[in-house]
Amino acid sequence: MKVVRMGELRASATPEDELVSMGLGSCVGVALVDRERAIAGLAHVMLPAANAAYSAPAKFADRAVPTLLALAERLGARRERMVAVLAGGAQMFGGNARGAGVAGLDLGARNEAAVRAALTAAGIPVRAAATGGARGRTVRVRVGEARVTVKEAGGEEVPLWHPAAAADDPGETP
Amino acid sequence: MITDYDERQLDALRELASIGSGTAATALAQLLGRPVELAVPRVLALPLADALDAVGEPDAMVASVVMPTTGCAGGARGDAEIVVLLLFSYRCAATLCELLCVEPRSELGDSALGEIGNILGASAVGALATMTGLALEPQPPHVLYDMLGAVVASVLSATAGELDSALVLDAELAVADAACGLSFLLLPTAVGVAELLGRLGLGAEE
Repeated sequence: MKVVRMGELRASATPEDELVSMGLGSCVGVALVDRERAIAGLAHVMLPAANAAYSAPAKFADRAVPTLLALAERLGARRERMVAVLAGGAQMFGGNARGAGVAGLDLGARNEAAVRAALTAAGIPVRAAATGGARGRTVRVRVGEARVTVKEAGGEEVPLWHPAAAADDPGETP
Repeated sequence: MITDYDERQLDALRELASIGSGTAATALAQLLGRPVELAVPRVLALPLADALDAVGEPDAMVASVVMPTTGCAGGARGDAEIVVLLLFSYRCAATLCELLCVEPRSELGDSALGEIGNILGASAVGALATMTGLALEPQPPHVLYDMLGAVVASVLSATAGELDSALVLDAELAVADAACGLSFLLLPTAVGVAELLGRLGLGAEE
């Protein structure tokens, strides 16, 4: 198990690897999976966008997506085979999609929107998402099976996406 | 913006943590009518992910109360300057509710836990305000039963902003004869830290 902590990202071409981000609240776990090879990456995004002066790539949606994609491509993944699966982006403190609630604490909806925009810019479709709501989540990416699961706080681990689901793929999820 | 703290600044932050958590411990003891022990608080100035690890296991389920306080003088946007965070076990949440004679995991129980956060947070932040002259306005508390990481990381995302390190003032409170321990955390934003230190004459430009 390889833990991807907040503000970090990691890609792997080792089939035995499992990439895990635990306790995603307003953060978004962005999994990029090559549908045909055992190559996957996971970023644990904290904030929507970096200002120009900032250089650390993994913390911000607009930098994390291209950085993670480049990392996966370096391991042999191909952009046209890549799909994205999202988890997290909850509004933990009573905020909503229109605002960050009291004292600017709720960033979940803005994080998810920024991640989706960065994926659109990179030409990568979002095939599944467990986002929004007000509960924390843990996301797991099993590299060998290209399988992504999510566990909500207090709940069971459930499948979120796997390559066999691609046959009857409904396309972009809302 | 301050990202690294020198020894004088860390000493001042330890003093603030000690005064804030001492005041909170006294308030909790008065509220529950029994002694509350306070361990020496920690001042964690760490990279974000390390700060979260230092607070606890990210996937552990915890009861928590989150109370933001906003600046009313300088903070024109009304964003948080210090977030007060209480973390405790489900069992401890139930114990606290029983000590206050309300049903745990009920609307009343959650409201009582929110009130504990309110009283502890407001007293601690009030003590810091008195010491530094910084006006801070407590906001309504949120009671959450969730993953520790989801709670703490969501607060840290908002307080750290552009910074890749976090400042966490962490104190452990133990309620006597109840086997109930609470983590009492103060998480200032970058603006909040700068204001606190600035008012103590230890700002970045000194």
